[in-house]
Amino acid sequence: MKRTVDVNIPLGPVHPCFKEPVRLKCETRGERVIGVEVELGYMKKGIERIMKGRPWQEVMFLAERVCGICSVIHNMVFIEAIERISGIDVPKRAAFLRVIANELDRMQSHLLANFSYCYTIEHETLAMYLLDVRELVMDELERLTGARVTCAYIIPGGVRCDIRAEDQATLRISLDRIESDLHRYAKMFETGPMIALRSKGIGILTQESARRSHAVGPTARGSGINVDMRTLHPTYQQLGFVPVVRKDCDNHARIMVRFDELFASIRIIRQCLDTLQKGIIRGGGICKAGEIRYSGEAPRGELTYTIKTDEFGRITDIQIQTPSIMNIEACCHEMIVGVDSIADVTSTFVSADPCIACTER
Amino acid sequence: MSILQNVKDLVRSRSIHVSYVDVGSCNGCDIEVLACLAPRYDIEQYGIYVHNNPREADVLLVVGAFTPGWEEKLKGLWNKIPEPKAAIAIGNCPISGCVFDRRGSYVDPPVAKHIPIAAEVPGCPPRPTEILQAILSIRDSVFAEWEVKRK
Repeated sequence: MKRTVDVNIPLGPVHPCFKEPVRLKCETRGERVIGVEVELGYMKKGIERIMKGRPWQEVMFLAERVCGICSVIHNMVFIEAIERISGIDVPKRAAFLRVIANELDRMQSHLLANFSYCYTIEHETLAMYLLDVRELVMDELERLTGARVTCAYIIPGGVRCDIRAEDQATLRISLDRIESDLHRYAKMFETGPMIALRSKGIGILTQESARRSHAVGPTARGSGINVDMRTLHPTYQQLGFVPVVRKDCDNHARIMVRFDELFASIRIIRQCLDTLQKGIIRGGGICKAGEIRYSGEAPRGELTYTIKTDEFGRITDIQIQTPSIMNIEACCHEMIVGVDSIADVTSTFVSADPCIACTER
Repeated sequence: MSILQNVKDLVRSRSIHVSYVDVGSCNGCDIEVLACLAPRYDIEQYGIYVHNNPREADVLLVVGAFTPGWEEKLKGLWNKIPEPKAAIAIGNCPISGCVFDRRGSYVDPPVAKHIPIAAEVPGCPPRPTEILQAILSIRDSVFAEWEVKRK
């Protein structure tokens, strides 16, 4: 059957709502959007090609620069894959410090995602509140790792630097403040009537279509799919981690999943600080030859590294599968199709938290 | 210098519209530009307004090593910005390509080959205060007495 399209509306690549260059071509009939085509290719740097043939000492910094927003998890998955190949054990204290750094990174990423969504639906007050909380998290990340964004904290056999007792106390105080602030903001978002008008029932991704489009991360968990790679990670298993799931399937649910995960992250960090034992933070080991496929949970979903190394610790082959590409597909084929107006296209796209830099690498 | 020029200088120094374009970065500098909006740094207290519309911008923040997808587009974007205008390179990528400028990659730094760059902020990524300082430091040299300098 021939499809009648009234107007083709292109959004991007430079658009006030998108942080990164991406082009959405919306096919509309009247105000209703009947189809969306996504055009990528503005950010392709060929990072996997640069990685091949280089020693792990260089690749760990390149892996971190796949994505600047979730740099800690890229670092963590790459290093843990190398450790699994070489059979290097991690000291207990270092394993918990890794989790703390990872959860702080997840918190700042989720806060940024929720900020973007609130900014897109023009609720600037809440957006600025969330960005202010994010600065507190960035401070803690900087105090722990020494840098705000690309911190290279996790290294094979442990972590780069220890956490001091006074820093632990400041971290706890900050967490208390962040938690009490976030309770207020999450309530503002959950009960706000104007926010509900822009978010509830918009961008529906049913459980079935989420499975069909292989959605991952908060996008899938907002549609009632209980999938989280952290449940397979040994340190998180020790902490008794349970994923956050919501069943509303709309934009509101996806943002609320992120709010709930923020509280879960705060709980995990507190648990880590409670169980932190005295001891070394870095063991030893030699990187060996081998091949592995290893996954971790990035703030946006499942992140997989397939790595092959030679006996000198050089990377001979590497493939990275980032979560955003599945979420962008789910977004374009299921969520945006059928929304009531063009204004909802940007907010629905942002609610899936697409990260173009790690999609294209 | 005429009174009109004085008024123009005064107004321009407190009203700078910023547009940012990502030409292939890792997002690290992007989020540091976004962090400038946060109440802690509060970029708007200096009269700097960040949005993403080149047609009403005064300053273009360029983030990222130059990827082939922007070959045609960046120059067009630069031409859309009305005079007086200035471009600032944020981070190591637009200056030197940072870690991405290796054999086999697709990037083509520096961005200064494609559009004129007025200021450069090195760092991987630079801190929000440094970005803020760069915007404020080119304010007077580019926008003050622009009509006089043009003649």
